[in-house]
Amino acid sequence: MFAHAPLLAFGFANLLMLGWLAAAAAPILIHLWNKRRYREVRFAAMEYLLAALRKNSRRLRIEQLLLLAVRTALVVLLVLAVAQPYFEQLGLPFVAGGRTLKVIVIDGSYSMGYKPTDKTRFDRAKQWAEQIVDDSSQGDAFTLVLMAAPPTVVVGTPAVEPAGFLDEIENLEMPHGGADLPATLALVERICENADAAGLDRSEVYFLTDLGRNTWAPQLGQAEEAEYEARIDHLSNIASLAVLDMGKSESENLAVTSLSSSEPYVTTAREVPLSAQIRNFGRQPQNHQLVELHVDGRRVKESYVDVAPGEDTPVHFSHRFDTPGDHVVELRLGGDLLEVDNHRWLSAPVKEHLRVLCVNGKPGSGPMTGATDYLALALNPDAANPLVEATVEPEVIAESALLERDLGQYDCIFLCNVAQFTSSEARLLESVLNRGGGLVFFLGDQVMPDRYNRELTGEQGIRVLPARLGEIVHEAQYQYRFDPLSYRHPLLDVFEGREQSGLLTTPVYTYYRLEIDPDAKARVALAFDGGDAAIVEEAIGRGRSILVATECSLSSVDPASKNPWTTMPAWPSFVPLVQELLALAVEGQMSQHNVEVGQLLGESLEAVTTRSTVDVIEPSGDRSAVRLALDAGGSRWSYSDTLQSGVYQVDIGAPIDRSEAFAVNVDTRESDLAAIGPDELPRAFSTHRQASLDEADTPSIGQRSGLHKGLLYGVLGLLFFETLLAWRFGRGVQ
Amino acid sequence: MDANQKYLDPQTLAKLQGLELRARSIVEGYVSGVHRSPYHGFSIEFAEHREYSPGDDLRYVDWKVFGKSDKFYLKQYEEETNLVTYLLLDTSESMRYQSDPAGLSKLEYAQCVAAALSYLILQQQDSVGLAAFDTEIRSLIRPSSNPSHLKQLLHVMQRSEPVRKTRTGPIFHDLAERLRRKGLVIVLSDLFDDVPSMMAGLKHFRHRRYDVVVFHVLDPAELDFPFRQTTLFRGMEEMPDVLTDPRSLRKAYLDEFGRFQQAVRKGCRSQRIDYVLLRTDHSLEIALSSYLASRMNHVG
Repeated sequence: MFAHAPLLAFGFANLLMLGWLAAAAAPILIHLWNKRRYREVRFAAMEYLLAALRKNSRRLRIEQLLLLAVRTALVVLLVLAVAQPYFEQLGLPFVAGGRTLKVIVIDGSYSMGYKPTDKTRFDRAKQWAEQIVDDSSQGDAFTLVLMAAPPTVVVGTPAVEPAGFLDEIENLEMPHGGADLPATLALVERICENADAAGLDRSEVYFLTDLGRNTWAPQLGQAEEAEYEARIDHLSNIASLAVLDMGKSESENLAVTSLSSSEPYVTTAREVPLSAQIRNFGRQPQNHQLVELHVDGRRVKESYVDVAPGEDTPVHFSHRFDTPGDHVVELRLGGDLLEVDNHRWLSAPVKEHLRVLCVNGKPGSGPMTGATDYLALALNPDAANPLVEATVEPEVIAESALLERDLGQYDCIFLCNVAQFTSSEARLLESVLNRGGGLVFFLGDQVMPDRYNRELTGEQGIRVLPARLGEIVHEAQYQYRFDPLSYRHPLLDVFEGREQSGLLTTPVYTYYRLEIDPDAKARVALAFDGGDAAIVEEAIGRGRSILVATECSLSSVDPASKNPWTTMPAWPSFVPLVQELLALAVEGQMSQHNVEVGQLLGESLEAVTTRSTVDVIEPSGDRSAVRLALDAGGSRWSYSDTLQSGVYQVDIGAPIDRSEAFAVNVDTRESDLAAIGPDELPRAFSTHRQASLDEADTPSIGQRSGLHKGLLYGVLGLLFFETLLAWRFGRGVQ
Repeated sequence: MDANQKYLDPQTLAKLQGLELRARSIVEGYVSGVHRSPYHGFSIEFAEHREYSPGDDLRYVDWKVFGKSDKFYLKQYEEETNLVTYLLLDTSESMRYQSDPAGLSKLEYAQCVAAALSYLILQQQDSVGLAAFDTEIRSLIRPSSNPSHLKQLLHVMQRSEPVRKTRTGPIFHDLAERLRRKGLVIVLSDLFDDVPSMMAGLKHFRHRRYDVVVFHVLDPAELDFPFRQTTLFRGMEEMPDVLTDPRSLRKAYLDEFGRFQQAVRKGCRSQRIDYVLLRTDHSLEIALSSYLASRMNHVG
């Protein structure tokens, strides 16, 4: 019913053989040569010869031309047959004969979700894949590869039964990620190399793709590039490669590229600023675009934005959550043809207030003499103001009480001037990190560096410190100052441009030299002017551990000079620095609830549940049970099947008995629908024609063309015809 | 086969030098091949009857006597030399043609036939004359029965060098007027000439009550046109050259040539002229047999 005109192209499997077409001139040359090479005889009956010639000259000329044409056509057909011509229909080359392994590679990058008609490109690709199977010959075998990141072999063993294979195609779902072409080629190469063993004569690989630049022009290092090119060369030698272009290169698209809270933690105590970026990946300006903010499925706010082509436009909202627990924020665009990136979710674990445990390693004898006194104040500066609802609730305990506490209920633990840790304590601290909690170590004169290094830096198998402790650095009457290292670390963002905050003038007299393992991922956030690290942080497990090289109180005093290690707690920079340390330390709690497609979901639970599994409810509504594993302090679950973007609900049984929300968002690099041109395809693909199928409704792939066989029959027919003509015209053997 | 008979083969004959030797070889070869002397009882006037005895040739039974007496008598003849044969030898350029498979050119073949006939005729004490012609009469020897006459005949025949085109029509008219004694006219020619004109000339002979035998001497290549590869045909008798692929033209040529032959045969038949096709690759026996048959008709 659809007037779809199949695009035909013509090609040759043995292109070089076409050089022999020059041999088509042979009959003409022989004819001319014969005319020049003749014997000479005297003849008496010339009168009758002349009469015969006069009467038949026209007929003779026609016969001669006819024979010449037949002989030339004979050579041409023979050469064409040897060159193995094929019809290429919509990029599919067909060479007749033998059993073929058809490797169908469907692009699974989410740009294939573009929906120009009633079907997405991915749906159309599936339709074409089914058509390829339908149009194949008896004995052909099929494999199916989903070109995603990482690629997936859906059907690896060549399937000879089309029915089952078609079901696999039908059930294929488009993941919301990118596509890894080099890895896909490696998979396809392995499949094709095994074709011989499966008794198949040759391999044909069909890439059903939108030729997105992100996929087809991968950014590779020099060595990877060489390997990639070598693989394509090899692949083109063992298989024919065809690309079916499913898209248009200039597709308009608007996407939400980010959604985040400006606060590292969210409490019911205050309104949370939310910011998002809207990017226009197209070439046309997108004006007055509706942007909606949904919280827990309810639309709470909306706004309109203008987005220039190739530009990002920020959108700002704010929202106050009324109840603690996991809340889902969704930013939703008015909608365009690629639906996947019109949404972005943020899972916000909202708390009444942040629970912080401060472990006091050196209790004071009076007010503000303990190791944690200044810290507790800095964590909740409004404690004395009853009108201000506290966002942080610090709790101070003695060093000895650490083991007695259920650390699972705290979001962050500050360990101040604690002398030493036992192995049990180290394990507890490790479980805090594994659950996404934060640890902040302040040092001081009580600290026993050897015990720290032994218990906390991995020597005993537990690593919760980002650096080892070296010797104490102290110089009489010398004040060490902080070097912000060009404010590269986000911890110092708030200090940049605010010199009056006093960060750079904070006096430090004594500190521990921190030794950072060069292989570790620890980063120096702040340094001393002499170059030593002042604050080192590292994401360990799902949480973050921060080590500050000096004290957070005035309780540690140098015995000789009677100077405290630092006067930082009394300095204006202290409160913001502590707040930023806390924010950095608990950042993992929010980030572990917000991942990208393909990344692992999971957490360590503070207790062992009565059930051995947790239930994960996917965005589609499918529910799957994930087995729990025992952890140091409780149990642990992880879920890797995050192929779709959206909110994943996790139900955890008793006694924890809570439901958590995890937001899985797309990597919006794939939102750029720019496609490569056919001339940018690797050379191995370039011989095949692509066709844009956005407008096509019904796939129609031509039948196999036994063209060279037909040509050989033509040659045979012409041979008979030539013999007949030659005999008829008197040129044959008498 | 008698050893002498091999001389009837043109290939063998070509190896013999001298026309006289060739003539004698032909005749002796021919004579040795027949069981009974073919010229016994010929060339003689009626003398008496004798009674038929078994084995006698029925052709010589006198049927008039049988009608009257109801008995078989044979006519007995006595020798007579009044049969005159004129040999008209075409010596035009086209007669010089000789294809590869032919042992003799048409002229050589015709010369052999003429010589053999002369020898045979003189052996029988008949008279034989000769006219060699192309566009005109080159030589004319009056008939004679003297055995020494043979040398003169052979000499003239051998002297005939073909150079010109044939003009048979006027020549035949001229000869029909010039020949005095009635007899047998034997034409040895390829007859490559205008057929109506030629037939008009022959008709003139018939009008003058000559018996005419046409020996149509043709080369096998002219009859079969066996050429294969591209050939430049050089024309004889002032005809132009033709470069052609002979295979493609063969059928057309054979048709054309067949029409010419047919026209000649038809003309001869209408004039009651004996037509004998002589292929130069065939035995000369045909020529001698045809002559003897004609002679018998003539005297009978």
